Amino acid sequence: MSAFDAAAMKARKNEGETPIIAYQGLVKNFGLLQVLKGIDAHVNRGEVVCLIGPSGSGKSTMLRCTNALETITGGTVLFDGEPLPSDDKVRFVRRRMGMVFQSFELFPHMTALANVMSGPTTVLGMPTAEARDKAMGLLSKVGLADKAESYPSQLSGGQQQRVAIARSLAMDPQVMLFDEPTSALDPETIGEVLNVMKTLADEGMTMLVVTHEMSFARRVADWVMVFDRGQIIEEGPPAQVFDAPLTDRARDFLSHLGWSG
Amino acid sequence: MTYDWSVVWDHRFEFLNGVWVTIILAVSVMAMSIPLGIGVMLLRQCGIKALEVIATVFVEVFRNVPLLLLVFWAYYALPRLTGASLSNVETGVIALLLNVTAYNSENFRAGVNSIRKGQLEAGLSLGMSWSQAMRKVVLPQAIRRVVPVLASQWVSLFKGTSLVSAIAVADLAYVGLHLRGSTFRVLEILTALAVIYWVLAYPQAKLVDWLHRKYGAQE
Amino acid sequence: MQFDTSVFSYMPFMLDGMRITVILSVATAVTTLVVGLVLALMRLYGPRWLSVIVTFYIDTMRAIPELVVLIWIFFSIPILTGASMPPFWAALAALTVQVSAYAAEIFRAGLTSIRAGQTQAGLSLGMSRAQILQKILLPQAVIRMLPSFGSYLTMIIKDTAIASMVAVPEMTRNAEVAAQQTYRSMEIYTITMLLYFLILFPTTRIVEAIYGRIAHRGRS
Repeated sequence: MSAFDAAAMKARKNEGETPIIAYQGLVKNFGLLQVLKGIDAHVNRGEVVCLIGPSGSGKSTMLRCTNALETITGGTVLFDGEPLPSDDKVRFVRRRMGMVFQSFELFPHMTALANVMSGPTTVLGMPTAEARDKAMGLLSKVGLADKAESYPSQLSGGQQQRVAIARSLAMDPQVMLFDEPTSALDPETIGEVLNVMKTLADEGMTMLVVTHEMSFARRVADWVMVFDRGQIIEEGPPAQVFDAPLTDRARDFLSHLGWSG
Repeated sequence: MTYDWSVVWDHRFEFLNGVWVTIILAVSVMAMSIPLGIGVMLLRQCGIKALEVIATVFVEVFRNVPLLLLVFWAYYALPRLTGASLSNVETGVIALLLNVTAYNSENFRAGVNSIRKGQLEAGLSLGMSWSQAMRKVVLPQAIRRVVPVLASQWVSLFKGTSLVSAIAVADLAYVGLHLRGSTFRVLEILTALAVIYWVLAYPQAKLVDWLHRKYGAQE
Repeated sequence: MQFDTSVFSYMPFMLDGMRITVILSVATAVTTLVVGLVLALMRLYGPRWLSVIVTFYIDTMRAIPELVVLIWIFFSIPILTGASMPPFWAALAALTVQVSAYAAEIFRAGLTSIRAGQTQAGLSLGMSRAQILQKILLPQAVIRMLPSFGSYLTMIIKDTAIASMVAVPEMTRNAEVAAQQTYRSMEIYTITMLLYFLILFPTTRIVEAIYGRIAHRGRS
């Protein structure tokens, strides 16, 4: 249903293998409001896919359907070829995905280190010492080793978000889901978070990112999906979507953002 | 063990009398405590240090003693302190009044203070006088905030009237205790007592919930 | 009007009453917090029929005066079960039955005030609902509840006074006894009011101080 260039689709990273995430006819209603109107798309292993589009177009909803924070009204979501379980067993699948929230959602009663350790110790039953080492390693990776004993209330927004990323990474996920990770940040701190995300991308992490940061998408994404009113109207490599959109609606959206390349 | 529930019906008029006294007590105390509570609140901000201190002491003392003790204290101390001889009912009313006024003045103070200063400033910058801004901007919002709290206070007061039974005021609780002693139908009378309170107060509690939902803080 | 200071010879007796008051208050605080938490969890996370029953129970306890509950328990339990009901235990039972309803509401308010995002973050890490409740929600709820905890404690301490109506030798009861023996009612009751004030006033302040220190750990 979305507009795309067939050759570009074929040339996608790891295309042809089982996609790590696949959406088949995904429909999501909130009461009478249909927010996702039948999504057919997939994300390949190792791809960085950015979801862009106007507010309310369904991008965040699709992300949240991916790790079953929202229940699906119709259609299927497949993770690594298997449909998401519809019962409590879905939490075993959730362990293999990491999610980073716009509002960070660090646990305020725990230090940064304890936050990062919370997944492995609680969910995986990892011994505390091992979890601590792992957590310190991840905090160093995001540049916050010196803030390990700080509480979230003592950290800036950018620092909190980086801790949140470390917390998700501690579970060794196969996919990282980012829901507008920088939308709640001051402009000065957006860069530090985007840098961490770029590092992850360079290391080959599969990432699904809902974002308004168009230059980040242009530089880092392997594939871009443009949303409008509950559907993907266009998808393709960033060069095509941003510089030569196939559809008028995508072109309008980008020009409204003042996107000039 | 047989239960004789007819005893409750036989004494229904005494129960109703008790209900009536309870209601009168609660209504009159609440009615008086609202203006008095506002008065005490204003005293605490009036600018004359001595009065402010007295008002604050009043509030802190009467919020920090048990109501039952206050009832006893009023019964024994007031006649000696004031030289007046008061009936039990009057004593009970005064004790309840001291207690509820102290709480209400705090409620009003919190309600007024909870309206952000910016609201008053916004009114002033539109050119309103201080009293206009208070009347048109702050007080209407404060009243909305305070209504649910006052309603909760009312339910507390309604239950609190039961304590005047300790000084032989013929409210509902006193009637129940008295009948328990005179009829020896302990379980029936006491259960009926609880049920009557429940019938009266349960709807009030639900009303308070509704008020909290409707007028709860919106920011 | 004379204030007869000979009543001060009764101080040890009054302090004995204070001891009982404190014991009863602490016991009540412990039992009501435990029962209240269980009730709140039942109401928030239990099956619908249980939630309805618990809600009804909580609302009922808001409607019936403590005195009536106490008198009912003190007189009716022996009739219903044949067991004896010592005054202290009757008072503890009555206070627990009544005040845990209030505690349940405080817990409920604390738990529901936490943003949904916190639960979602826990879910995204793969935690189960029970783990989320235990590790994420309850710790924050407890911290958020602390401001109410001060007034909760003072409320309990004040409520213990009704135990005097079934002759538990706590402060109010001892005041009555002392007043009867000395005929110095005004002095005795005034001193008793002061004693209560001396217990209650600092309690609120101490809780506020503790809360000020750790409030930020409850803000998500």
